[in-house]
Amino acid sequence: MKINGSFVEKVLTAFIKQELSKFNYKKGILGLSGGLDSSVCTFLAAKALKPANVLALIMPYGESFKRDVEDAKEIAKLLGIRSKIIDISPMVNAYFSTYPTDNKIIKGNKMARERMAILYDFSAREKALILGTSNKTELLLGYGTIHGDMACGINPLGDLYKTQIKQLALHLGIPEKIRKKTPTAGLWTNQTDEKELGLSYAKMDKILFQLVDLRKSKKDVIASGFKKEEVEKIISLIKKSEFKRKLPPIVKISARTVGHDFLFPYDWDK
Amino acid sequence: MQCLRNCGNFSFVRVAIAQITPHLGDVKKNFDLHLKYIKKAKKKKADLLIFPELSLTGYTLKDLIGEVALNPKKDSLFGELNAASRQISLIVGFVEEKEKGLFYNSAAFLSKGKILHIHRKVFLPTYGMFEEGKFFAQGRNFKTFLTPYGKMGMMICYDFLHYGASYLLFAGGSEIIIVPSAAPGRGLSDKECYETSRMWELMGSAISRFSSAFLIYCNRVGFEDGKHFAGGSFIYNPMGELIAQASYLDQDFLIQKINLADIREARKKWPYKRDDRPEIILESLKRIIRNNED
Repeated sequence: MKINGSFVEKVLTAFIKQELSKFNYKKGILGLSGGLDSSVCTFLAAKALKPANVLALIMPYGESFKRDVEDAKEIAKLLGIRSKIIDISPMVNAYFSTYPTDNKIIKGNKMARERMAILYDFSAREKALILGTSNKTELLLGYGTIHGDMACGINPLGDLYKTQIKQLALHLGIPEKIRKKTPTAGLWTNQTDEKELGLSYAKMDKILFQLVDLRKSKKDVIASGFKKEEVEKIISLIKKSEFKRKLPPIVKISARTVGHDFLFPYDWDK
Repeated sequence: MQCLRNCGNFSFVRVAIAQITPHLGDVKKNFDLHLKYIKKAKKKKADLLIFPELSLTGYTLKDLIGEVALNPKKDSLFGELNAASRQISLIVGFVEEKEKGLFYNSAAFLSKGKILHIHRKVFLPTYGMFEEGKFFAQGRNFKTFLTPYGKMGMMICYDFLHYGASYLLFAGGSEIIIVPSAAPGRGLSDKECYETSRMWELMGSAISRFSSAFLIYCNRVGFEDGKHFAGGSFIYNPMGELIAQASYLDQDFLIQKINLADIREARKKWPYKRDDRPEIILESLKRIIRNNED
């Protein structure tokens, strides 16, 4: 799972640059939380584009995660990119005052979708393409909000596991305090990914790499030294979240149907 | 073989490789891009200019295939390419509508104002990220043909990963084997290239040596639908040694003079060609096919 930092940087910056140019954008926009993934994506965007053409939206919910907001601001300053802080609490609170809930996940998903709505709004205002920051581990485990943080125009990080993003972060010279942060989806305070998923990223990535990249069977992965419950948990998360990685099925009743046999490239006419 | 006497007066060939990023589905733009590289290659006094697989159309065509298909006998674009080939031989990749509604992934060799040979891709990758078999008709032949530079054979991309195809060109007497390609890179390691780039190089080295022939691989670069074409075009000499390589990932234009005497030297030293027994291979294949049971 070792990567060559400079090679991956070259590929991902070329991807950002060429995709923007294909779709006729000069600017990229992304949500910057101050965590590892969005920081790495911001660094890559700043290298691929002129810093003035990168807009980072920092979107805290009220006063929570203050330290992350400070870190995000610091990254924007360090890279010389544009940034904007938008507090999402007025919109989110307005909604939940009418439809209250104690369910943390429902609240968290609403926040993720609020951020998505703001990103798409600013994407149109600024004519900027949204850069996604979901990594391969999250995508495979479905550890993200559908139509929330998973929504984007292009995703430069989606084929790198969390542990590979860490390697890339080191190569890119991302400040240590960001690299050493405990990964969190930031849906509520004291939430951490590893606590919620019940496994460390190091372990999850090793299991995923064997299952997905090496196409190993469950039996072989267990035999390589992982607990049966751990491997089964990962497989179950992958299966349960397939719907998040696909467009919803359309019932096929006509001769030619979107999503079935109306088959054109994403880069059609680009 | 008449042609050989007339044409075989080249001792050296200046080979040019255009490692380009075609525009997906835009034949006109790609044609202009070809003209630009033809001009460049002529300026550098190249004898032969090679473009990658589907260079006139781009790769991820899907249902666009019918819209970009060309008939080399009828399309004016080929008239212009033929005209350009009076001064420089060309290999271009395109979607060929050989018969109405039958689309092939083809590469044409143009020289002295006409098409000398068209290779239609035989092995259409249809697995994992590839779906060529869904859209293209399958070619049926690996043919060695005569050119001003000696006997040549072509394979397109995945053809080259089936060593039976290389054997047929070897048995047919190919001295220069050309592989236009649109190969997406995949697989990360601590090396500064994709794992698949190493695979192509390994094949290039092995096949050039097995065949005691020059092996010229012309890949493309750029992204289509997130796939990243990995470049790294190369030339191996008949001893299996790398003599030129284009950059990984970036657009590039490579010029390399190859010495045709190297073929003779390699075959004197390692008489694989002399000692080949295609009739034994054929009989063995027939037996294998006869005995093949489901």
